[in-house]
Amino acid sequence: MTKKGNISGLFGKSPISPLQQHMKQVHSCIKEFGVFANAANSEDWEKAKLAKLSIGKKEQKADVLKKKLRMNLPSTFMMPFSRRDLLDVLLIQDSIANITKDLAGLMMSRKMVFPKEFADDFLELAKLCIKTSAAALVAINELDELLETAFSSRERKIVDKMIKQVNDLEHDTDVAQEKIRNKLFLVESSLPPVDVMFYYRAIEWLGETADAAQKVGSRFEVMLTK
Amino acid sequence: MDIIANYGNVLLILAIVFGTFMAWGIGANDVANAMGTSVGSGAVTIKQAIIIAVIFEFAGAILAGGEVTATIRKGILDAELFTNDPHLLVYGMMASLLAAGSWLLIASSLGWPVSTTHSIVGAIVGFGAVGVGIDAVAWSKVFQIIISWIASPVLAGIISFILFRSLQNLIIDTQNPFDNAKKYVPYYMFLVGFVVSLVTIFKGLKHVGLSFSTSSSYLLALGSGLLVAIIGTLMIRNIHLNPDENKDFSFASMERVFGVLMIITAAAMAFAHGSNDVANAIGPLAAIYSVIESGGLIGSKSALPLWILLVGGLGIVVGLITYGHKVIATIGTGITQLTPSRGFAATLAAAATVVIASGTGIPVSTTQVLVGAVLGVGLARGMAALDTRVINKIFLSWVVTLPAGALMSILFFFALKGAFGA
Repeated sequence: MTKKGNISGLFGKSPISPLQQHMKQVHSCIKEFGVFANAANSEDWEKAKLAKLSIGKKEQKADVLKKKLRMNLPSTFMMPFSRRDLLDVLLIQDSIANITKDLAGLMMSRKMVFPKEFADDFLELAKLCIKTSAAALVAINELDELLETAFSSRERKIVDKMIKQVNDLEHDTDVAQEKIRNKLFLVESSLPPVDVMFYYRAIEWLGETADAAQKVGSRFEVMLTK
Repeated sequence: MDIIANYGNVLLILAIVFGTFMAWGIGANDVANAMGTSVGSGAVTIKQAIIIAVIFEFAGAILAGGEVTATIRKGILDAELFTNDPHLLVYGMMASLLAAGSWLLIASSLGWPVSTTHSIVGAIVGFGAVGVGIDAVAWSKVFQIIISWIASPVLAGIISFILFRSLQNLIIDTQNPFDNAKKYVPYYMFLVGFVVSLVTIFKGLKHVGLSFSTSSSYLLALGSGLLVAIIGTLMIRNIHLNPDENKDFSFASMERVFGVLMIITAAAMAFAHGSNDVANAIGPLAAIYSVIESGGLIGSKSALPLWILLVGGLGIVVGLITYGHKVIATIGTGITQLTPSRGFAATLAAAATVVIASGTGIPVSTTQVLVGAVLGVGLARGMAALDTRVINKIFLSWVVTLPAGALMSILFFFALKGAFGA
């Protein structure tokens, strides 16, 4: 007899868990880049290809999650944060996976192997970027606790610390990038110019994943201060 | 006069049938909404909800349902105008019951959100204004009721906002939410018991022939508040902190404390609902009975007989047992994001608002009051996602239900007039 006429029509589907799921998916995507970078570094292209495929699949899954969340978020929803901010966080999260996919694609098609002068530094930078994304995931995962406390000041402080952690890690990636670029600059004249161009690009893109993770954090912060 | 003398018993039996049907409909459909937040928060199982609803809907109807029944019975229409044609009042009230009952049946089978309260008020105003004359309607009372339909959800929202903020400050946003929950929850329980019993004692019990002096009323209310607090304290005594279930703070354990509180607020809600909504079914019945019983006298001072309240209470209970439990299950499983602390704030605010409305004799829509209360928690950033389309639906239901109820009751009114004679 009753369908939407009752009180349950009032309760929309919470976007919190889907947002966390999405970030989790995005993070598993960039984590896979660690595998890819190691394989590429040891010129194991078979393994690298598998990792690249896996990155593509994970990026696609994140895309599906993103679309699903958007579809289930009518503008009539009353939420403890603005819908705009939530969608922004989602888009930035998604960009981490997109950049990762493009980067793996570029390195794969060019069979890119970094000169030994800074090959290890690149792997190190990749690790740092994954860490930054992991830190952003930790912060996003706190959203359900934030809701439980109705965004109380205590819980906010905890999240502030988490976001600071993301910022610190992102800063580390900036330093690491600079270090690699300096090393690359010293040897660039002895390398094929086109390769050099793409080395710079790969370093830049990898750094962008950490930038995006940081943006996730800061946008998240905006989302919490309603 | 002859009509009443000739057909009095037939009309009364028909009226009892219609009234019971209406009460059954309320039990089958409406109660589920009142219990929705309790079941949805997971604190009360469906079986518990049904037992609570059976007991407290009935108690609310009997103990506190008198004032709203009086409004429906003789507050909306100016009874003096019927002095020469008392049978018209009988037809009209029967038509109203039929109209509201069938409209509810049609609307809920189509999934439209309608309120029994709005249907019956629309129906009574309809037959009064068209069947008898514009002057037959006590418009000031009707406007008062209509304003209360806007005011009551808003009031519930404000109360729940304040309640939830107080929970946040005293319990949730503290170093140790679990301990503070155990410390402060008994006070909230006291509040539940006090408010509900105070309104009942002041306004409801006189309709069942009990009356108390002001001071003893307060003492009695204090006593029941304390009793509820003591029962509640005993119930939460055995809840212990379970570190495994918690993340940063002890929220999961804290919610279990609120879960117990929820059982008590669910009872208050059922009581409130019984006290307000049973009148929709038995108010018209009471009006018909008093005309027929007095042999056609209008405005006789006869008290509301207890058996009429019993008919209403039993009708609700039967509706609940035969059909309502399914609706409770559907609604309960449909609401998943409500935690006991939120459910508590919203349900208590709604119950308090409805009980106060019952005490003032104003028929309100319990469902819409509850919607207002949940939105209040949402405004305090307590809910993940509330679909505000529900507000449009509420407005729509006002716009549609009032004329629909009115139109149908006018039709039934003239049909009855044709059947039994003018």
